[in-house]
Amino acid sequence: MTETKNSSKTLRDDLAHLSKITDWFENQAEIDVEEGLKKVKEAVALIKASRKRLKDIENEFEEIQKEVNLDEDE
Amino acid sequence: MEIPEQKIFSVSEFIQLLNIGLKRSRARIVGEVTQAQVASSGHGYFTLKDENNGAVLSCIIWKSRYSMYGIKLEAGMKIMAQGYPEVYAASGRLSFIAETIELAGEGELKKQYEALKKKLTAEGLFAPERKRPIPKYCQKIGVITSKHGAVLADFLNNLGKFGFKIKMIDARVEGQEAVEDLLSAIRTFRTQDIDALVIIRGGGSLESLMAFNNEMLVREVAGFKVPVIAGVGHHQDEPLVTFAADASVSTPTAAANYLNRSWQEALLFLEKQERIIFGFFEEIFEIQRSIENKLMIFMQNFKAALANLSQKLSYAEKVITLNNPERQLGLGYSLAYSGGKIVRSVKDVLPGRELEIQVSDGRINSEVKKIIK
Repeated sequence: MTETKNSSKTLRDDLAHLSKITDWFENQAEIDVEEGLKKVKEAVALIKASRKRLKDIENEFEEIQKEVNLDEDE
Repeated sequence: MEIPEQKIFSVSEFIQLLNIGLKRSRARIVGEVTQAQVASSGHGYFTLKDENNGAVLSCIIWKSRYSMYGIKLEAGMKIMAQGYPEVYAASGRLSFIAETIELAGEGELKKQYEALKKKLTAEGLFAPERKRPIPKYCQKIGVITSKHGAVLADFLNNLGKFGFKIKMIDARVEGQEAVEDLLSAIRTFRTQDIDALVIIRGGGSLESLMAFNNEMLVREVAGFKVPVIAGVGHHQDEPLVTFAADASVSTPTAAANYLNRSWQEALLFLEKQERIIFGFFEEIFEIQRSIENKLMIFMQNFKAALANLSQKLSYAEKVITLNNPERQLGLGYSLAYSGGKIVRSVKDVLPGRELEIQVSDGRINSEVKKIIK
C-alpha cells in the first residue's frame, strides 16, 4: 500500500517535472542547445519511467476490472 | 318366548322368567313422588303416583344412578323416570327400576337449575380466577359430542389446517341419558394425552340441555386436567357446564375458531415479519445497486484519467522530440564542439585548435585552419 502510494506520488511528481520541461521548450524563443539537450535527456528518462509506471497501473486496473465483472456475473 | 304347559317352575325360576319379559317393557313414566327414602346403602326407594286417578308404582333407583343425576327425591316432586319393571324375588313385589330420573316441568327444572347454580357459585366453581387460558398453538384436541347431526361437521369444517390431531368420543347430548355418556367420555379423556377438551352440541331448550346442568358433569369439567372449551348452544339459561368450562362459546363453529385463533395470530405475525425481512433485503439491494453504480462511475473516471495521462505523456514526447537539438542533425545540421563546449561563435575557437563536429551518425575530429569573420 505504502509502495503504491509512493510510486503514484513519483508518477505525479515525474509528470509535473515533465510538464515543466515541455513548458520550458515551448516558451524558449531560441533554444539553448546545451540546456535543451540536458532537458531532453531528463525528459526521455522521465517519459520512459512514467510510461512503465502507467503501464503497471493500467495492468492493475484491468485486473480489478476483471474481478468487478466476475462479481457482477455471480 | 313360549312356555311349555307341562313345565313346572320353582318360584325363583318363574320370577326370573318374568323379569326377562318385564325388562323388555322399558318405559318413561311421569308422576308425583309420594314417598321417598334413601337407604343406608345409598339406593333410593320412592313411589310415583298418577296425578289423575291416584294409581301408584313402587320405584327403585340404584345408588350409582341416584348420585349421578343430582336430584334429591322429595314427596310432592314431579319427575320423569326411565327404566323397566322388575319383580323382587325376596318379597314378590313389583318395582320400577329407574335408570334415569329427571325433573318434569319447566318450573321444576328452573328451580333445580337456579339452586345448583347458586350452590356451585358459592363454592367458587365458576370463579373467573379459576379459568385457565387455552394453550396457544395446541394441537391435540379431545372432542365430546354426538357423531350424529351437523355439529361435528361444523366444528371440523371450521378448524384451520394447523395440524390438529382430533380424538373424538361419541356421546348422547340430549336428555338425561346423556349424563352417563358425557361422564364416561370425560373420564376416558382424563387418561388421554390432549392439550384441550372441547364439549359441543347444538342449541336447545332448558329441558333438552339438562344433562349439561348435571352436578357431577359440572364438577368433572371444573376439575379437568386440561382447559375445557364448552360450545353448548343455549337460549336463556346458560348450561352450568359452560360456567365451569375455561372458555365458553355459543356454537361449534365458534369453538373451532377459538382453537384457530393463536395459530392465525402466529400466521399474521410471521407474514408481517416476512414483509419486514423482504423490506430489509430491498434496502440492502438498493444500497448494493448504488455502490455498484458509484463503482462503475469511478472505474470509468479512472480509465479516463489513465487515458489522459497517456495523452499527456505522448504530448510531452512530441514536444521533446520536436525540440531535441539532436533531431536537427538528421536534417543536415551539425554541432561543433571545442574543448567540450558547443561552438556558438568564432570567438569560441582559435586557429589550430581541435574542433569536434557532431553529425547525425557520428563525430568528426578536425582542426581550425582559419577564422573568417
